[in-house]
Amino acid sequence: MAYPYVSDKEVRILSTYFGDPKQRHLDTYVERGGYKALEKALGMGADDVVNIVKDSGLRGRGGAGFPTGLKWSFMPKDSSRPHYLLCNADESEPGTFKDRELIRWDPHQLIEGCLIGAHAIRAQHVYIYCRGEFFETTQVLARALEDAYAKGYAGENILGTGHTIDVTVHAGAGAYICGEETGLMNSLEGKRGEPRVKPPFPAAVGAFGMPSTINNVETLCAIPHIVTNGGEWYKQYGTEKSPGTKLFCVSGHVNKPGNYELPLGFPLQELIDDVCGGVRDGNALKAVIPGGSSVPIINAEEVSRCTLDYEGCVEVGTMLGCASVIVMDETADIVKQVRRMVDFYAHESCGQCTPCREGSAWTAKIMRRIENGEGTEEDLDMLMEVTQKMVGTTICVLSDSVAAPVQSSIEKFRDEYLALIRRGERVGAA
Amino acid sequence: MSDVPFKNLGWAGNTGEFDLSEDEVRGDDFVGDRPAHGGHASGSATMPYMLAEKNPEATLFEGEYQERFEKILTRYPDKQAALLPTLSLAQELRGYVSPESMDRVAELLELSPAYVRGVTTFYTMYNKRPVGRHLVQVCTNISCNLCGADEVLDAFLKYTDTELGETSEDGGFTIIEAECLAGCGFPTCVQINSRYFENVTPTEVPKIIEHLKSEGDS
Amino acid sequence: MSETVTLTIDGHEVTVPRGTTILEAAKTIGREVPHYCYHPGMSSPAMCRLCLVQVEGAPKPMPGCVTTVMDGQVVHTESEQAKADRQGVLEFYLVNHPLDCPICDMSGECDLQDYVHEEGREHGRSREPKRIFGRDDFGGDVLFYGDRCVMCTRCVRFMSEVEQDHRLTVVERGNRSVIDTFFEEGLEGTNWHGNIVDICPVGALVSKDFLHKARAWDLDHTPSVCTSCSQGCNIDLHTRDNLVQRLKPRENLDVNGWWMCDEGRHNYEWINKGDRIEAPLVRDSGASKAVGWKDALTGLLAAAGALDGAKIMAVASPLASNEDLGAFTGLVEAFGGGDTVYRSARAESEVVLKGFPTLARRKDLAANVHGADLMGATRVGGDDANGGLDDIAGHRGVILVLGDALADQDESFGSDAALYVYVGTHMSEATGNAHYVLPVTTFAEQEGTFTNLDGRVQRFWPGVEAPGMARPAWFVLGAMVAEMTEGEGARSAADAFAQLAGSVQAFGGMSYDDLGTRGAVVNETVSLAGD
Repeated sequence: MAYPYVSDKEVRILSTYFGDPKQRHLDTYVERGGYKALEKALGMGADDVVNIVKDSGLRGRGGAGFPTGLKWSFMPKDSSRPHYLLCNADESEPGTFKDRELIRWDPHQLIEGCLIGAHAIRAQHVYIYCRGEFFETTQVLARALEDAYAKGYAGENILGTGHTIDVTVHAGAGAYICGEETGLMNSLEGKRGEPRVKPPFPAAVGAFGMPSTINNVETLCAIPHIVTNGGEWYKQYGTEKSPGTKLFCVSGHVNKPGNYELPLGFPLQELIDDVCGGVRDGNALKAVIPGGSSVPIINAEEVSRCTLDYEGCVEVGTMLGCASVIVMDETADIVKQVRRMVDFYAHESCGQCTPCREGSAWTAKIMRRIENGEGTEEDLDMLMEVTQKMVGTTICVLSDSVAAPVQSSIEKFRDEYLALIRRGERVGAA
Repeated sequence: MSDVPFKNLGWAGNTGEFDLSEDEVRGDDFVGDRPAHGGHASGSATMPYMLAEKNPEATLFEGEYQERFEKILTRYPDKQAALLPTLSLAQELRGYVSPESMDRVAELLELSPAYVRGVTTFYTMYNKRPVGRHLVQVCTNISCNLCGADEVLDAFLKYTDTELGETSEDGGFTIIEAECLAGCGFPTCVQINSRYFENVTPTEVPKIIEHLKSEGDS
Repeated sequence: MSETVTLTIDGHEVTVPRGTTILEAAKTIGREVPHYCYHPGMSSPAMCRLCLVQVEGAPKPMPGCVTTVMDGQVVHTESEQAKADRQGVLEFYLVNHPLDCPICDMSGECDLQDYVHEEGREHGRSREPKRIFGRDDFGGDVLFYGDRCVMCTRCVRFMSEVEQDHRLTVVERGNRSVIDTFFEEGLEGTNWHGNIVDICPVGALVSKDFLHKARAWDLDHTPSVCTSCSQGCNIDLHTRDNLVQRLKPRENLDVNGWWMCDEGRHNYEWINKGDRIEAPLVRDSGASKAVGWKDALTGLLAAAGALDGAKIMAVASPLASNEDLGAFTGLVEAFGGGDTVYRSARAESEVVLKGFPTLARRKDLAANVHGADLMGATRVGGDDANGGLDDIAGHRGVILVLGDALADQDESFGSDAALYVYVGTHMSEATGNAHYVLPVTTFAEQEGTFTNLDGRVQRFWPGVEAPGMARPAWFVLGAMVAEMTEGEGARSAADAFAQLAGSVQAFGGMSYDDLGTRGAVVNETVSLAGD
């Protein structure tokens, strides 16, 4: 079940045991069928496992939506050098809170997914990079991992198959940019978490200079189910290009915020009105950010046309990202929220690339000035131009993420900016 | 959501349609006691807690902490990769990462002190100055912001009589803003030392402060 | 797969080895793509984003410093789009950059000034207050003006990759990031930190020695060779008002890469010392008289002729050029032959630049020790360049000294000599008894060559004018030798070198044209024309 509210519209695969503390225990997990997928996978060749995942059409759940099977197939087929599987549990995108639930309710699901993934890419070591703030969550994971080691599900000679796969839980130290794949690798290596230029790509030069693959927590949690039931089974859910289910994190001005596992392609309007119990206090809907703060904001009209899959979101001019739905009602102060998001990016920018380092801080200062009633209409045009220079000109896309909320809010909520500029009036209160 | 009554007293996230105790949500019972020597090596790099008791003069490292440090080293192909866990371990003991701590960690891992300084200052969680017994980090990012995070932050400042970023007179609390803590479904999310306090509203703030003062720390 | 790649850059077809970056390929057709963080001697982080070029078919602009060329690629560095991209990036650089040009040492040789002047917006649009870092003393010779920094991290990477003493780091992140050392540790104890001032594209890192001394556009640059040790780093003399204001390394991948050591860099004040010998001096009944060259040389030739089988003892200097030494040993021969010695300071150990290990601050602390050896001179004295002259000090025959300052000798030196000739730049206690004192030029005031420890002969050119009547030693001594042997005196340094090439086997077959500005190694076939 999703957490903390359930809906009968849900399709529960990953979130079946949310809210059930017994699931953390290894014997319960095994009793309920756990680690059978691992056994099955270890009995297959690595490439066979990759093919099942390719078949399923699973796309990366961390925000990029890159086909997972294809990503795994980029790894070298020989193991002359150590391969690494990295699990990205550095969940820091504003609005996202699914990985935390996945880890703390069903840690063994993730561990099993990691082990299967490691086998598929011929890796002998898995690093689960958890954000540093996840103290409690990480302890649950570490404890479960300890049990897995004790019972022979991880480490040397897993289940007597002769395969050795080690798992290490690694904690970050508070940097959003370490959720970027090469930023994470640098952080893991004990460096500043600054993203690297690609090429070379991680499958050629990754963690510690070795071929590596990085996957999101939710992606890896889906793996045991796909291996057990096959690729075709997974494709029965979702849409043709975006198969499967997704954990949608809904937050903001709804009555029942939380995680909901739904098939991809679910209509956004239905998610808000039905699954989440509607906008709070019966207020009118003003805007929604469907994929975490890095994707463009859409207005109420666009919400009514938006289906929650990768293609559907693009059609209304936004992106699915990590499917973190932030709902804003009529009381929301768009300028303030955009300013807060830009502050976030300016705070988290690693500082390597000049457009991002200077541009994010500059944009934040302009936004603050507008919010304080000292803005001009020229500022709006300048913001559009300046943020456009931050798109496509940097090593990673944090820079592009500054442009998304700024440009979409100026395009669709210009009246709120103008109210502040012309009359010093704030439209919203929240 | 701020008006839905709490079903557990530990502010461990409103359980909505579930009936769970604080321990069941946090997983404290399941985790049990985590030994200072790090337990199994696979999890040894994640243990650092933010403790209320800090000793800026603590040795880096001795006894069980030295044991944990050595376990950490075994999980990485080179010493440099153990830098973040080692800094966290030093902070667990000393409460913050001082220049002396950076120097000592550099020595232990055969890195240059300037390099360690560069890495330490990149990450938000390494405190560059001493903090109070309880480091209160209030998320003011968008999801919590939409649900009154600014008022929660103000309440913390008011009830501890502190300025933002400063430590209270009695050394008990340091209040700062945090970026998204990944608890967006439970606004406002506040992290105090190593614990998450969720669905916090201004009315809950004085109760939380009392609770912390009476309890000591986790 | 063939070894070369052919692509089109700005309409020109370019063929380069596979693996070349677009930026390096553009250089081969004379197109310098603006950049900050890239430097051929270090890693390429591609973070300054200034070298973004348009590649047809690519979804976004590509960083030229790390994108390798591909067959059939079409690259535009000067198109409307490429220029707009660059202008956009330049605008970001100016958001927080202070308007320090009037007080900034870098003005006139600043990459930010130059790029913005070429391609930047006419007016910056930012109205927000700039972030302030202030000035920081990094120790050694380096001052850091944090506000001017463009965060290219060349300095950080130089210290960690080339000097391999990781002293600098980026502190904090995002717009709060700034370069710093480990608190007060600074750069003390490092040997190559002066190079970070060279490679800083703006005036963030400046030399304390050069602070507010001279404007870049007032300086003349003259190619030369460092004289502080036997490595022979290629340098430029930067001069104004006939004084050397600073030394900068000159690129030579066979000798010093792009670098020079701090000791050599700061050892130039001696070139500017006044109190030079400005005219030939003749000692006549106990007093020194200044005379013209003709009189001096005529008198000296007569005195030489009057000698009757007197023994010759000669002292040369490892700071003299090959041509000077050649003429000097020629003079010793013409006088009847004798032993030539030289003294040179020597350090206990080398200081190797770990990231470019063919470069080191060598033990021999003079430029032409090898040249002196090739001319047959013998080293005497201690590692402090003192001593070894006991036999010569009281010699009753002929004493010839070229260049050695005789700093450890006293006023009795040469008092018993039948003929004592001092050829040098400064008077001292020990020159008091010289019958003839001939003023000559330092390396900075003449053309010539030095031979480094590897046998590489390298040319240098004059950057300042000689004082008074001082002339190159090869010229005046060569003229004397010509008179004494009825030969031809060299009229130019090239001639003097050609004469050397004829008489000293090691230099056989070499000429100035062959040496160019990069030099060539003795006893090796010279096939390249220099540039």
